[in-house]
Amino acid sequence: MGKFIVRRLAQAVLVIIAAMLLLFLALFTLGDPFATSGDKAVPPETQAALRAKFGLDKPVPVQFLVYLKNMFTGDLGIDFDQRRPVAEMLAAALPYTLRLAAVAIVLDILIGVVSGVIAAVWRYSFADVLVTILTTLAIGVPTFVIGLTLRKYLSGELFFPAVPRSAFGPEPFWLAEVLLPAITLAIVDAAFIARLMRGSMLEVMRADYIRTARAKGLSERKVIGKHVMRNSIIPVVTYVGIGIGVLLGGALITETIFQYQGVGYLLYKAILSNNNPVIMAVCAFAVIVFVLLSLLVDILYAFLDPRIRLS
Amino acid sequence: MTTPPDPADLRFPAESMLTEPVMGEQIPVDDEVTARPGKRRSNSQFRDIWLRYRRNKLAVVGLVVVILLIVTALLAPFITPYDPREQNLLNAIEPPSAEHWFGTDVLGRDLFSMLLYGLQLALLVGVLTMLGSLLIGVTMGAIAGYLGRAWDGVLMRITDIFLAFPYLIGALVIVRSLDPGRTKGVGPVIVALVILGWTTTARLMRGQVLALRESEYVEAARSIGASSTRIVVRHLLPNAIAPVLVYAFTSIGVAVVAMASLSFLGVGVSIDTPEWGQMISQGFRNFGVPNTSFLWVFPSIAIIITTLAFAFVSDGLRDSLDPKLR
Amino acid sequence: MSINRAGWLRATACVTAAGLALAGCAKKENTGTGETQPSAGWPETPDVQIVEGKPGGTFRLGIVEPTAIDPYNTQESEGTMVAYQLFTGLVRVEPDGSVQPAVADKWETNDDCSQWTFNLRTGTKFSNGEPVNAEAFKRGWTRATVKTAASEVSYHLKGILGYKALQDGSATAFAGVDATDPAKLVVKMEEPDCEFYLRTFHPVFSPVPTVAGAADNKTYNDMPIGNGRFKMSGPWQHDRGIKLVRNDDFGVGEKAYLDAIEITITPNGAQDEMDGFVNGTFDWARMPTPQFSDMRNKYEPEGKWLRKSTSGMNYLLPMVTQKPLDSADARKAISMAIDRNAIIEGVFKGSQIPSTTIVPPSFESAYQSGVCTACSYNLDEAKKLAQESGLTPGTTLNMQLNTGGGHEEWMAAIKQQLEKNLGLTVNMTAVNFDDMLNNEQQPGATGLFRAAWSADYPTPRNFLEPLLATSSIGAGPSEPTTGDNRGRYSNAKFDDLINEGKASKDPAEAVSKYKEAEKVAIGDDLALIPLWNRTQNRLIASDKFVNLRMDFSENPDFSVISIK
Repeated sequence: MGKFIVRRLAQAVLVIIAAMLLLFLALFTLGDPFATSGDKAVPPETQAALRAKFGLDKPVPVQFLVYLKNMFTGDLGIDFDQRRPVAEMLAAALPYTLRLAAVAIVLDILIGVVSGVIAAVWRYSFADVLVTILTTLAIGVPTFVIGLTLRKYLSGELFFPAVPRSAFGPEPFWLAEVLLPAITLAIVDAAFIARLMRGSMLEVMRADYIRTARAKGLSERKVIGKHVMRNSIIPVVTYVGIGIGVLLGGALITETIFQYQGVGYLLYKAILSNNNPVIMAVCAFAVIVFVLLSLLVDILYAFLDPRIRLS
Repeated sequence: MTTPPDPADLRFPAESMLTEPVMGEQIPVDDEVTARPGKRRSNSQFRDIWLRYRRNKLAVVGLVVVILLIVTALLAPFITPYDPREQNLLNAIEPPSAEHWFGTDVLGRDLFSMLLYGLQLALLVGVLTMLGSLLIGVTMGAIAGYLGRAWDGVLMRITDIFLAFPYLIGALVIVRSLDPGRTKGVGPVIVALVILGWTTTARLMRGQVLALRESEYVEAARSIGASSTRIVVRHLLPNAIAPVLVYAFTSIGVAVVAMASLSFLGVGVSIDTPEWGQMISQGFRNFGVPNTSFLWVFPSIAIIITTLAFAFVSDGLRDSLDPKLR
Repeated sequence: MSINRAGWLRATACVTAAGLALAGCAKKENTGTGETQPSAGWPETPDVQIVEGKPGGTFRLGIVEPTAIDPYNTQESEGTMVAYQLFTGLVRVEPDGSVQPAVADKWETNDDCSQWTFNLRTGTKFSNGEPVNAEAFKRGWTRATVKTAASEVSYHLKGILGYKALQDGSATAFAGVDATDPAKLVVKMEEPDCEFYLRTFHPVFSPVPTVAGAADNKTYNDMPIGNGRFKMSGPWQHDRGIKLVRNDDFGVGEKAYLDAIEITITPNGAQDEMDGFVNGTFDWARMPTPQFSDMRNKYEPEGKWLRKSTSGMNYLLPMVTQKPLDSADARKAISMAIDRNAIIEGVFKGSQIPSTTIVPPSFESAYQSGVCTACSYNLDEAKKLAQESGLTPGTTLNMQLNTGGGHEEWMAAIKQQLEKNLGLTVNMTAVNFDDMLNNEQQPGATGLFRAAWSADYPTPRNFLEPLLATSSIGAGPSEPTTGDNRGRYSNAKFDDLINEGKASKDPAEAVSKYKEAEKVAIGDDLALIPLWNRTQNRLIASDKFVNLRMDFSENPDFSVISIK
C-alpha cells in the first residue's frame, strides 16, 4: 500500500510540473505586456525597468525554475497591474471559493442522494418519473443559462443580496451571498448525482447478497439503509471527490455571473486584463488541487478495493 | 488519474459530459467493464440495435431533433430571412415581431438569422471536435492498449497531464494563447477542445483494446500469423469502438456548450460572428436594460435543445449497443 | 507578439462565410443606416453656480478597481481621482482648464525654458505632520523615476535633467532637481519646455513624505499619506472600497465641506454605477451608452443629469505609411463615407456630437470648428476620392478595436457603412486593449484602429505633438513605434509649427502656431479621422448635494461639493 501511494504521488508531482510548464510556456512566451500603458506608449527605458521588475528579463527556462522555487516559499510573484503579491490575491479569493464549494457540495449531496434514493426505492413511481425528467432537463441546461436566470430573477429578491452591492452597505450574511451561485452549481451536479445514485442503487439491489439479505428476512428498511446504501454510494463519492477538485479550482462561469469574489472570478478578471501572473497562479492552483484530489480518490479506492493496486 | 471500481459508473460518463464541462470531462471510465469480447456486427445485429433503440422514445425524439437540427443548419442560408451580419442600427434591440421573429440585437441584426447561423457554427464545432478527438484518441488508445509496456506508460502519462486541467480553464488558456486577437475563427476553439477531449477517448479505447487483446479470436488471428496492424484494424477496432462512439456522440453536446462558455467569457470566435455564447453574453451585458431578456433567452433555448437532443441520442445508443446495462 | 501580428493581418476565414456565399436566395433588406437628420447632439447642462456650503455629509460613488492610488504609478481616471484628493501638487487645474497656483504660489522660467523655478508656500504639512517643502517634491519625483520603481507614468518627467540616469539605474538622485532651499524648487530641463509647469499637474509630480519609502512600500501603496483635501480613513480594501475623510490640516486652500467620500469598487463600471444610483447607493454615476436616453429622460427633469464636453477626442487612427490609407485622399474618402450622424442617432441615441477637429472644443482659444473639411458625410465626393486614390471596391481594409470598452457596436456600424458606401472588404477584428495598442505599433500595421485621446495636461499641444509629431514615432520604418504617433504621420511643416509653438513664451502666439499645425495635419492631411467629441454624462444626486460639477479629469469636483 505504501509503495502504491508513493508511486502515485510521484506520478502526480510529475503531472503537476509538466502541466505547469505547459501553462508557463503558453502564458509567458507570447506577447509583450509592457509596450503600452493605458492609451500611451511606454518609453523603452521604462519597458526595460518593467521587465526587470517582473523578472521577465531572464531566459524562459530560468524564469520557470525561479517560479517553481518561489512557489515553494509561497511566493507567486506580483501581478502586472497593481503589483500586489499574487499569493495574497489568491488567499483573499480562496475563502469565497471554499464557501461556495462547500455549500454547493452539501446541496449536491442532499438533493442528489435523497432524490436518487427515492427514485430507486420507489422505482417507476411518480416520484421516479419526476426525478428522471427533472434530472434529464437539468443535465441538458448549461450552467451559465441557469446562472443567468437565477441572477436575473432572484438576486436582489427575497433574502438574496443584489448583484452588485455597495461595499459600505450592511454586509450580507455569507450564506445569503453564496446561495444563488451554489444553487447554480448544485442544480446540474445534484441531477447528475441523483442519476448516479439511482443507477448504482438499482445495480446493487439486483446483487445476490441483497437477495440473500432479503431472504434472511431482514426488514426492507434495513436492507436499503444498511446494505444497499453503503454499497451504492461509492460512485457518488468519486464524483463528489472530483467535483470538489473542480469547484476549488474556481467555478469560472458561475462566479463571473454573480460577480462572486472567488478564484474563478479572479481568473476571469485576469484574463480580461492580460494579467499573466494571476492567470498562471490560478490555473496552477486549479491543476494542483485537481490532481491531488484525484490522487486522494485513487488512494481511497485502493483501500476499498485491493485489486486496483495491482493494475 | 482515477480508476473507479464500480460497474455502475459505466452508464454515466456519457451523461456526465453534459454538465458544466469543467466537471464532466473528468469522469473516468472503467477500463475492464466496458470491454466486451465480441464478434463483428452483422446486418442483423444492426437491426437488433435499431429495434432496441426504437424502444427508447426519448432517444427517438432526440434522433428526430438531431436530424432536424442538421437539416436546418445546412439550409440556414436559404431559410434565414436576413443576412445574420447585416446591421440596422436604427432598429436595434427590437422585441420579437412579425418582421423579426426573435427580435433584433444591439446592432439591429436579426436574431432568428443569427440563431440559425449560430446553429451551423455550433454543429460544425461539435462535429469537428468529435472527429478530431476520435481520430487522435482512438489511435493513441489503440497503440497504448495493443503495444502496452513503454508505449502504454508514456501515452497514459501524457493523458494524465491533459486530464490535470479542469476542462474549461484548460480550453480558456489554450484558445487565448493560440488566438489572443480573436481573429482566427473557430479553428483555435476546435483545436483546444480536441486537445482536452482526446484523452478520454484514448483511455476508453485503451481499456477496450486491453481486454480484447487477450480474447480468443485475437489469439486465433495471431496464431494464423496476422500482422499487428491487421489485428488492430480488422479485429480490435470494430469490436472496441461501440462505447467510444457513444462517448463521441455525447462529446458533441459538450463541445457546443464549451464553445458557448468560451465566447461568454470573452475568448474564442470574433465578436461579430453569429454565435450562441456571444449572443447570450450580449444579453448579459444588457441585463440592466428592461425588456431585453429575449436577447439571451432564445440562444439559451437553442443550446438546451441541442445538448438534450444529443444526450438522448447517446443514451439510446448506449442502451441499444449494450442491452445489459439498462 | 508574433502570433498576434500574424493573426490579425490574416483574413479571418469564418466558417459561416461558406454559408453566406451560398445565399443566392433573396434576402430581405435589413434597411441600413440611410440618411438621417443631422445630429446636433444633446446640449451640455449649464454650469452650476458655486454656493457657500456647510460641513458634513458623505458622498458615495462607484469606480472600477484602480491600478494604483499611490502617485508614483496612478494612471487611469479612477486612480488619479483618488490621488488628486490625497495630494496637492505645484499647480491645480480648474474645471475649465485654467491653471491656478497650488503649493507653488508662483513660477517662472528662463529665456530658453531650460530652467524652471517654483516658489513654494511655506508651512503646509502632510496629514502626518511632515512639512511639504521642495525636498518633498524632489523625493516624490525621484521615487517615481528610479528604475526599481518601474513606474508606468514616470515618462511625464521625461525631459528633466537626470531623468535618463534614474531610469536606466545609473543614478539614484535627480540631478536636475534642486531642493536646497525648502521654499524654492528649481528644475533644470534637458529638453527645454515652455509649458513644463502644466505637466506638473499630473499626480506623478506629487510631493511625498519620508514615510512613503520606496515605490514598492506596500503599506504606503495602499494607504498613501499626502497633503490633499482628503486623507485615507484606512487602507484600500482591494476590490471592495476606499474611504476618504476630510483633511482638516489642509493648508493650500479652502478645506472640503464633505466629511467623507465612500468609494465603492464595482466590477462592471458604468452599469453597476448606474444601478447603484437608481437604487440610491451612489450619489454620482456613469451609465452605459444604451442607457443614455432613458436615463436622461428620467433624470434631466429632476435636475439629476450632468452633461459636459470634456478634453478628449474619439477618432480613427489610420496607418498613413501603409496602403491603402497612405494618401490623404484615401483617408478623406473613408472619412466622408462615414455617416457620423446616423451612428450617433442609432448607437448613441443622439448623445454624441460629431467632431471636425482633433483639438477638442474645451480648449476655447485653440478650437477651430470645421478644420477637418472631410468630416461630414458626402457620398459622391467619397466615391470620387476613393476611386482616385486606389481605394476601389473590393480593396481590403483592416479595422481593429478593443473589446470591453463598448465600442463593438459603433465600430461595426462604421464597418458596414464602409462596405456599403465604398464597396470595401472590411476585415474587422476585436482584441484586448493591450493587444490592440501592440498591433498599432508594429511596422507592418495597416488600416484603421479605434482610438481615443484625452488630455494629460491642459494644453492643445497635448493633442498634437504626441499623436502627430515625427519625433513621437520614436522608431525607424521597420521598427515598432515607441511613441504615441502610431500612425507614423510625418510632416516637416507640422513639426516646425509645433516646435515654434513650444518655444514661444507667449501663450497666444503658441496657440496660433498650434492652430496652424492642426490645419496641416487634420485639414490637409487628415492624419487622424475625428469622429465625435468626448462628452461625459453623469447622474448626480442634486437632491442631496450642491455644487455638483465635473473637474478637469471628469470626476466630481470634491473641493466644492456640499450637502444641501
